[in-house]
Order: sequence, then C-alpha cells, then structure tokens
Amino acid sequence: MSKHCVMGLFSDFDEAFAAISDIRKTKVPGVSVDDVTLKSPIEHPEIEEVLGERPVHVQKFTLFGAIFGVTFGFFFLAGAQATFLVQPQGGKAVVPLPSNFVLMYEMLIFFAVWCTFFAYLFLSGLLRKRHTLYSEKVSLDQVGILIDVDEDCLEPIKDLFKRHKALEIREEVLR
Amino acid sequence: MSLENLLGNWSQYRKGHEEGGFHDYKHLWGMAIDLDICIGCNACATACYAENNLAVVGKERFEKGQAMHWLRLERYWDQNELDHPAQGASFLPMMCQQCDAATCEPVCPVAATYHTPDGLNAQVYNRCIGSRYCSNNCPYRNRYFNFYSYYEDSWPEPLNMQLNPDLTVRDKGVMEKCTFCVQRIRVAKDNAKMENRPVADGEAMTACAQACPTNAIVFGDYMDKDSQVAKLWKKHQVKLRLTKQNKENPELRGYRIFEELNVDPSVMYLERVREEV
Amino acid sequence: MYNEKDINEQIAWAKINADVLRSMENPRKGYWLAVLICVLMLICAAFAEYIQYTTGMGPANLNNPHMWGMYISTFVFWIGMSHSGTLLSAILHIIHADWRKPIYRFAEAMTTFSLMTAGLFPIIHLGRVWNMYWVLPYVSDRGHWPNFRSPLVWDAFAISTYLSASMLFLFIGMIPDLAICRDNAKGWRKKLYTVLSLGWMGTDRQWRNFRKTYLLMACFLIPLAVSVHSIVSADFAMSIMPGWHVTTFPPYFVAGALYSGCAAIITLFVLLRYFFRFEEYMTTPIMEKTCKLTFAIAMVWTYLNLVEFCSVWYGHDIYNKEVLIAKATGPYAWVFWIMIFCGSVVPFTLAVQKLRRHMPTMFVVSLLLNLSMFFERWMIVAPTLSMSHDPHQWDIMYASVVQWAIVFGSFGWFGLLFLVFVKIFPSVSMYEVKEMVFHRRRHLVNEEAAARFHRRKDDSQTTTGEPGLEGA
Repeated sequence: MSKHCVMGLFSDFDEAFAAISDIRKTKVPGVSVDDVTLKSPIEHPEIEEVLGERPVHVQKFTLFGAIFGVTFGFFFLAGAQATFLVQPQGGKAVVPLPSNFVLMYEMLIFFAVWCTFFAYLFLSGLLRKRHTLYSEKVSLDQVGILIDVDEDCLEPIKDLFKRHKALEIREEVLR
Repeated sequence: MSLENLLGNWSQYRKGHEEGGFHDYKHLWGMAIDLDICIGCNACATACYAENNLAVVGKERFEKGQAMHWLRLERYWDQNELDHPAQGASFLPMMCQQCDAATCEPVCPVAATYHTPDGLNAQVYNRCIGSRYCSNNCPYRNRYFNFYSYYEDSWPEPLNMQLNPDLTVRDKGVMEKCTFCVQRIRVAKDNAKMENRPVADGEAMTACAQACPTNAIVFGDYMDKDSQVAKLWKKHQVKLRLTKQNKENPELRGYRIFEELNVDPSVMYLERVREEV
Repeated sequence: MYNEKDINEQIAWAKINADVLRSMENPRKGYWLAVLICVLMLICAAFAEYIQYTTGMGPANLNNPHMWGMYISTFVFWIGMSHSGTLLSAILHIIHADWRKPIYRFAEAMTTFSLMTAGLFPIIHLGRVWNMYWVLPYVSDRGHWPNFRSPLVWDAFAISTYLSASMLFLFIGMIPDLAICRDNAKGWRKKLYTVLSLGWMGTDRQWRNFRKTYLLMACFLIPLAVSVHSIVSADFAMSIMPGWHVTTFPPYFVAGALYSGCAAIITLFVLLRYFFRFEEYMTTPIMEKTCKLTFAIAMVWTYLNLVEFCSVWYGHDIYNKEVLIAKATGPYAWVFWIMIFCGSVVPFTLAVQKLRRHMPTMFVVSLLLNLSMFFERWMIVAPTLSMSHDPHQWDIMYASVVQWAIVFGSFGWFGLLFLVFVKIFPSVSMYEVKEMVFHRRRHLVNEEAAARFHRRKDDSQTTTGEPGLEGA
C-alpha cells in the first residue's frame, strides 16, 4: 500500500478551519489531525489552535544561550584579566566587576540571540528542500492543508476537501 | 590553570587602589619641582627634546596644536585675576604626572598604557592603535599624538645622527608622553643589579632634572626614604593617595596639581612666592 | 477632525504582493542618479581616507586637546540613528501596536545600515587603522588581551552584538517575504531569494516557531538597544572630563538616539511614500502616529537637556560650569543655539495636526530635527575637549576638509546601502500588512455583526417579541 500526500488549497481561513475541524472529528477514518500541516500566507494563532497542542522549543535554546553567555562571559573576562601580563591599571582592581558586568550583559544577549536563531532554523524545519507539493499561492493569498495519508484514505480526504470548497487539490505518491 | 589562578587569588584580584591593591612597589619614581627656583629658561624642555627623540614639528603644525613637547612650560598671565605685568607671567614646567590612579590607563582599549611595578605610567608604542582616548581623559592634557610621520622631516641629514639610540623614534598614529626617562632608570637599575646593591639616589636622573640650571627639578625614588625627593615631600607634608592634603602648617608650599580629581599624581610642585605689587 | 483608518481593510492580499513587488522592479532613471550621487560621495570619503591613511591624522585637523573630532560625534550620530528602527519595531511588536507593520521593515533596515555606517567611524578615527583587530578578544600566543575596562572595548562588544541581533531580527522578519519574492522572481533574483528564504513554505510549524523566535528576539533587542547607547554614552560618561562625566548621559543619549531615529523614519517614510507610491500602506494616520511619538521623545530629550544644565549649574563644580557656560556663549555657541532651536522648538510643529499631515513640511522638519541631533553630538564632543581642566591647553578646532569629506561620504555609504536594499528586499512587510488587513477586516466584520445583532434585538423587543438568534 502506497503512501500519498495530498494538499488542498482554500480561499480563506474559515474553510480551512472547518476542514481541519472535520478531520479532527475523524470524519475520515485512519487520518489524524496530527498528520495535518497547515500552510498559510500569514501567521494566525487562532486558526492553528484547531491543530491541537503543538509545542515550540525555541525558548529553551534561548535560555541555554543566555546562561551560557553570562557564565562563559564572566569566566572568559575574569580569566583573561587574571592571566594578562598587564594587570595594575589606573588604580582599579584586576578583575573589576562593574565593567565586567557590562560585557557579560552584552555576551548574554549575543549568545542568546544566536542560539535563538540557530534553534529557529533547526526547529522550524528550514534549510531543507521545499516540498514538491509547495504551491506559490500559499505565499499569496490561499491557505493550504497538507496531509500524508494511506492510499485507502485518499479519496475520502479529497471529498472532504471538496466539501469545503477547496480551490485546488494536488497529490503525489510518496513511495 | 587560569581558573585555579583566578579562584585562588580572587581577593587579591579584587583589590583596587583604595584597598591597597598594587602598593608593593619596589620603586616609586617621583618628582618635586620648586617653582620658586624655576627661572623658566626652557632648558628642561630642550633637554627632553634631545633625550627622547622628540620630533620638531615646525611653526605651522605647532600653531595647529600638533606639537610633541613632552615637557612644556605653561605660562599664565593673570593669576588670581590680578595682572602682574611687572613681574611677568607665572609659569610651570608640565610633564606627565605619572599618576598612580592614572585616568588614561583604564580607558585604553588595548592596554597600551599601563602601570609598571615601578609606579610609572608606561606607554607601549607597539601596542598603541591610536584611539586617543587616553589623551581625552588626561586632565593635564599631557599626552601627545603622532599626527604625522614626523620623523620624515624632523631630523634632516645629518641631524639624524643626534638621535638617542636608547629609545625608538615613533611613527604616525601612536600616542606618546613623558616617561620619566625610563631608559635612564633602566640603566641605573641594571647597574645596581649587576653590582648587587640598591639604586642610589641621583643615579637615575631625568634629562630635565639634569639640565635644570637652578636644580628646580628634583627626581628620585619616593620609596627610598633617604632620597632627596622623599625628603622634600615629607618636608612639605605632601602625601600620596590623598585628594586633599592636611598640612599642619598652611604656609608650606607643596601641592599636587588636580589631586582633587583622585588621580594621585607623582609630581609635587612647590608654589612660587610672589611679592605683592 | 480627521477620521481615517490606518489602512484600508479591503485591500486584497494579491494587491499587497503586487504593489510591494512592483516597488522592487525596474529602477527608474532617478534611482540610478541617486546611486551615482551616493557613489560619488563615497569616493570623496575614500579619497579623504586614503590621504589620512597615508599621512596620519594630521590632515583631519585634530590636535592636542581635540583628539576626537567630528569622527566621534558622527559615530554617535549614526549610532543614534540606528536606535529607533529596531527599538521601536520591537517595542511596538510587544505591545501589539499593529500600525508598525507597514513601516517597520525600512526602519529596521535603516537601523542596520546606520549601524554599519557608525561602526566605520571608530575604525576610521584610529591612528593605526591596520591594527584595529587588537580591540577584539582573540587568543594570542603573546598573552595579549584587550583592556576590558575600556568603554571603547565595551563599544566593540555592544556594537557587534547589536549589529548581529538587529540583522537577525531584520532577516528573520523578512524570511516569509523573501519566500514571496522567490515565488515571483526570475533569473538571478530567483536564485538569490531561494537561498535567502531558506526553504520557507509557510507551514504551521514554521509559523509557530517564527512567532516565538520573533518575540524572543524583540524581547532581547529592547534592553540591548538601550544598553548599546548607554555604552556609547559611557565613552564620555566614564571619563573624568567636565561636561562628559555626567550621570544622566545614558538616558540622555538613549533619548537623543530615539529622537534622531524617529526623525529619520519620518524622512524615509516621506521619501518611500512618494517614490514608491506607497500611499495605501504608509498612510497619513500612521505618519501622524509616528509624529506624535517623535514629539513625545523630543520633549523627553528637551527635559533631559534641562536636567543636565540644571544639575551642572547648581552643582557648582567649577570645571563643569565653565564648560556649560562656554557651550552657550563660547565659540561653539552658534552650534548650541541651532541645536536648541531645531531640537526643542521646531518639534512643536509635530504637535499641530495640520502641519504633521502635510508631507513636505514633515520632510523638512525631520531633516531639521536630525540637523539638531548632529549638532548635539558635536556639542557633546567638542566643548569639553576645547575647555578641559588645564587652561593652558584650551583650544578651538573646526573640522578640516578631510574630516568633512569622510562625514559627507558616510551619508553616501548609508544612502547606497539603503538604495540597494529597497530594490532587492521588500521595504514594506507584505505578510504583516496582510495580517494587519486581515485582523482589521475581521474586527470590522465582528463589529458589524454585533451591531446588527443589537439592532435586531432592539427591534424584536419593541415589535414582535421574537428572540433574535442570529448572533455571530
């Protein structure tokens, strides 16, 4: 039995919302809402709620970056100052906390921001080849629902899409 | 390991000037300048030019304020809002005050200026990138910047033969300033070390002090209690690490310029006594 | 009086795409002329820098008390410019002020480019430029480190952090738009956008992570932007010089930065609106909101100025007071009074509704405000240098042709970057304008439905008594 990928394009969010709600209510046996990918031209948290709880983990990496930045910052700066040949300066302590705090603050943000960025690239599934079913209309004004289904569920899903006035339905065989 | 070093010596690394950080000086070079003896002959400035390979910049650049005189004679015509045209200007030789809490040091981005264990405020020409922050933060404005490659036309042949081989000629883009003739101090210390004895008073002598016809400039080691400079400081009840001197006798003439800024200069001036007009 | 909407809710999404994409196509003759002018300005600066590089800092007219001249004041000016783009964008994003959406993209680009301009100045002003990397904390086998106490090193840290963070913020916010460009482009542009959009497909996973990331970045950028200009002010405030050693400098600098940045936003707003015919997106009400914000910041800046003057005046510190008096009466007094006039009096035009709706007036006013800010930075740097503690070293310096050429060229460099940007990247955020339109339309629909519902309920109560059920 082959696996298929179907994408329906809808003209607005309400239709897509209704379609996903139907999938959620398991109008089509063997298809779960977890397999659904919603594609939209704008971000829209209210609509995504229908997809159920889908967690985001970026902030954990941000926290890691921030903590790493500030601790690494401190030991890096203080270590450099303590091992530097040129120590006595202007009557100040060798490891002056106030100025180190300023730099630690900057390093906190520096590492946190870069960690966030790389976590984002990694976690949001960027830097990959685009899906063959990608439609340019999604970046214009249509909402797409992408779903991986078994062959026997293919027709019912297409019917469901059609019921909700899908403008276009594309499909391809995965393997 | 540096982490071990850092944690082991933590309390020492945290001591600043006020808590006695870095006070275990072997030497602390200081100066006393008696303005009452000073006749304003400029011999000190000339000697400084000769000793330290200072570039002569020419009239035009001098007028622009791009001169390199490490030691300058400041002249003031209206002291205390009274004119003394009959007595002439009041003046003082001004060189780097080798501050203990030097404001130029913490602001240098590359640590090209730092404090030596001798209490000198050293300038590393090779390390300087010319951000000029040190000069901006010097209340005495005693740091001089090489705005041009002055050496190219300062010593035309055969004047280049007069250059002092003990120190470098600076190129454009670096800051420089009075070093208390550190090359002479170096020689004195080396000689003393070879003969296994302490540096004697007067052994290290700056070019300005040597050239002064009236001996107005006294240079020596402040840590050596018997040195002439230490005695003078004591006599005039001027102490280091104070922002305001509390003298028993207010008639004593010793003072340090801008000591209220807490920069802790190492040069004591003795006030000039002027008669009433 | 005027009751307009920030944006017309009925704009079709396709039209938004088309309008913004159109702005990126077919540069007209005027565009190339502008590019040419910018390149010529840049050539002036390059020539001046060549002179300075080969002969030293002398030709710039710098001298013993005036070790920092217009280079540093221009540096502060450009850093200030860089402030409002990202900072306002981030703050308005966090407080859900959606009128930011049509204008934030070019404002953020302005941030990034003015930061790239500003970063050049500390490098240009170095006596030995070729050794500039010594400021960076790299591991050297000689055991050398930069001096972490120095505010100039803080600058290097702060600027690199701010530059990378604001570039990432700009870039992340642009990824969905780059995907739109990719889908509509041909030729080399297609290749470029394919790489830059990083395979964006608009899936829910991407949007979810995007939302979170964008919010996190905004949260970091606000304190970062504030800290960057505080650190720039530390270049002055950490010194012991009269007129620099001022505790209120960090907020004063941040306010000044926001001020010049907002003024620059107004300038570019007018230009983009006119040249790209973005009247439907950069609307008069949004302009009004920006003007009100600028006015508020102008008053904060004026207040902080007064605080500084008063605290110096009543502080009775002789050196500080001397510098303050010299500012108002000394050789640079004309600069000072132009600064006060353009910075504190001219902004009152922003408070007049008729004037702030008139784009040409606002264009001129915004330029005047930035002139004031440019002078403000000169008034921070120069009077202190000319009148420090030691009266023997008092001196007046005016910048030479070399300094002016480099400062002049920096505007060309900024202009060039911006001109390249507006033709390669969408200067209005398409997806966010779509969101704005979508949410407002939905809001409108809901409101109308509610109104209808209430009307019907009233009708039914008075006439038939049937309950009105058609709610949403």
